[in-house]
Amino acid sequence: MKHMNRKHFIIRTVSILQICFFMMYFFMTDTFAYQDTLEKIKSSGVLTWGFDADGGAPYVFHDPKHPSKLIGFEVDIVEAIARELGVKVQNFQNEWDSILLSLQRGDFDIALNGIEITSDREQSVLFTRPYFVYAEQIVVRDSDNRIHRLDDLHGKKVGTLYNTVAKRMLEEMGDVAVSTYSGQVEPFKDLSLNRIDAVLVDLPIAFYYAAPNPQLRMVGEPVGEGYYGIAVRKEETALAEELNIIIEKILRSGELKKIYERWGVWNTSQEKLFLHEGLLQKYTESPPSISEKVPLRVTTFLPTLLKGALVTVGISILSMMLAVVLGLILAIMRLYGNKWLQRVSTAYIEFYRGTPLLIQLYILYYGLPNIGITLSAFIAAILGLGMNYAAYESEIYRAGIQAIPKGQTEAALSLCMSGRLILRRIILPQAFRIAIPPMTNDFIALFKDSSLVSVIAMVELTKSYSMLAAASMNFFQLGIITALLYFGMSYPLSIYARRLERKLKSYD
Amino acid sequence: MIEISNLFKQHGQQPLFNGLNLELEKGSVVAVIGPSGSGKSTLLRCINGLEYFQKGCISVDGQKLYGVNEQSYNKADEDCTVKKIRRRIGMVFQQFNLFPHMTVLNNITEAPVCVMGISRAEAEAVAISLLQKVHLEEKAQSYPAQLSGGEQQRVAIARALAMKPEAMLFDEPTSSLDPEMIEEVLLVVKDLVSEGMTTMIATHEMGFARDVSTHVIFLEKGNIVERGSPKKIFSNPKNKRTKMFLSRFMK
Repeated sequence: MKHMNRKHFIIRTVSILQICFFMMYFFMTDTFAYQDTLEKIKSSGVLTWGFDADGGAPYVFHDPKHPSKLIGFEVDIVEAIARELGVKVQNFQNEWDSILLSLQRGDFDIALNGIEITSDREQSVLFTRPYFVYAEQIVVRDSDNRIHRLDDLHGKKVGTLYNTVAKRMLEEMGDVAVSTYSGQVEPFKDLSLNRIDAVLVDLPIAFYYAAPNPQLRMVGEPVGEGYYGIAVRKEETALAEELNIIIEKILRSGELKKIYERWGVWNTSQEKLFLHEGLLQKYTESPPSISEKVPLRVTTFLPTLLKGALVTVGISILSMMLAVVLGLILAIMRLYGNKWLQRVSTAYIEFYRGTPLLIQLYILYYGLPNIGITLSAFIAAILGLGMNYAAYESEIYRAGIQAIPKGQTEAALSLCMSGRLILRRIILPQAFRIAIPPMTNDFIALFKDSSLVSVIAMVELTKSYSMLAAASMNFFQLGIITALLYFGMSYPLSIYARRLERKLKSYD
Repeated sequence: MIEISNLFKQHGQQPLFNGLNLELEKGSVVAVIGPSGSGKSTLLRCINGLEYFQKGCISVDGQKLYGVNEQSYNKADEDCTVKKIRRRIGMVFQQFNLFPHMTVLNNITEAPVCVMGISRAEAEAVAISLLQKVHLEEKAQSYPAQLSGGEQQRVAIARALAMKPEAMLFDEPTSSLDPEMIEEVLLVVKDLVSEGMTTMIATHEMGFARDVSTHVIFLEKGNIVERGSPKKIFSNPKNKRTKMFLSRFMK
């Protein structure tokens, strides 16, 4: 028995190592996909542009009137560049968090999507000269008079976007409760719903979303100026040179200003774009409010990952408790209830099994406020996961209960036990044992599905990972560590369940 | 003590009992014999309310169960009556039906503690004495799966007795047992009968029926074909079918 276990362990370890090697090979080969991109662009007549339209207006977004069409000031810039190069634009939609990684992999030629020039990003990609001067803008509710400048954000709940300069500024302030979002609409929505006190985002975003909304107001001067640049692969100096010339040209000709004016994002700060390249370079070497590159040391990332893991565990345990209790109620309603209770239970199960958890979370968190129910992210996460898994649990219990022989009930009845007593003392304890393996399965699945709650501004393990990885560009090692953390948490659960099963089986 | 009058029952479209009448006096021991499917089990199960019936009445010490098609039938009253009847009548099943997740001791104490509300200590004392009675006191802490079939059935008898019943129904108690275990169970039943327990037993053990019962009824297709004292039925059956059935068993 012991010998067998060791053998299994060795086989498992070997296969994990194989997967690791395969992944390393995969990453390494793709990095050297092309040799000279500028030549390739000119010969093929196509410039491939990476961006994330989910990021939203006014950068790149789907035209609400013609959803198949992309619009935004960056679309206009890329079109101008392509025109100058004499080529056509090919769009490449990519998750913003991993946009530079995809650039390195060779998925597209340029990444142009509100990417701030920071010294740690310059470690992995090459930036052109800036094409836009951004600054961070505070937005508050119109009715709120407490906040006037950046310092007023101390001790407040402030929303911002993932992997942005604004987020780091807030974190460096120390005592700000930061809520991070992946979409641009959601922080403003939560602001109007009183879930947060303020939003700190890049000025164009604030301008586009807050200015037209009468409930919201921009306060104070923009802070933390910095630059957006076009990112190319590190070795593409020729392409970067060519792009610099084009930016200079459309800047001098006034075309860039026209584009910015058309989208309402021109301000006097943009004059800085005319500065001599050397001056700019000097400025970006020590960007304002941006900490120096974070070296990948255990002490720096592990606390963040562990904090995320703690949130994951907390959410998983609480929502599983809800799923177990609610699932049991649903199963009993379906098996022993009258016609109406049975219908309610069946409808619940079919609905929750038949619709995506992601949609359910969106409805709970962003949909319910429309009918006056505003839940905190934590509560919404637990309700969302718990109510979803309750549907699965109830079917497991139903199967378990139905597997108990009829003779058990009859024997209990002949001993004058009541229906409720029989269920509690005779049926459920036996059904529970049958249900343990599928319940464990579900709990592990829930544990991993808890990563979905990051869409409602919960920072759990997966989100912590993707944020750290995007910031440090280290998807591989951090990914392995995160996966091991997940495994380290779910595997003891499997062992415990197996032990519990064996213990309860002792009477067989 | 038990009076069955004009019992009609059908399974779906299949009629089973067609106006069956039967009376059990206190202290009597009735053996129900007959081929498989003749309705022996169903008759016993009707008495303690595990099966409903369409027409007729079953009365246990004045507690009356009515057929669902009878005027006097009322679901709530019926549930109440069934409980009273079950308190008086214990039942033992062909498949034992012990609770597999409880020890032998807990199997026996479960109902006295949870239903009758007596203290655990008292229930355990009763359980131990009952286990001694069925010669299984050393198995108190075992689980049913660790017991042989004969032992399980003896525990099932002790479990039923723990409710202090006035009568016992045995539904083919030895039919799922290996031959060598039949005797130990029948001995326990014999002991009970000798103590004067009113008993109704559906069985294929003809020798046992002959030796132990005060009355024998021969059931075929839901009809009592012949009834009488064991001596009369076994040595001088009147009915042709009874004769045929017995000749096959009494070799």
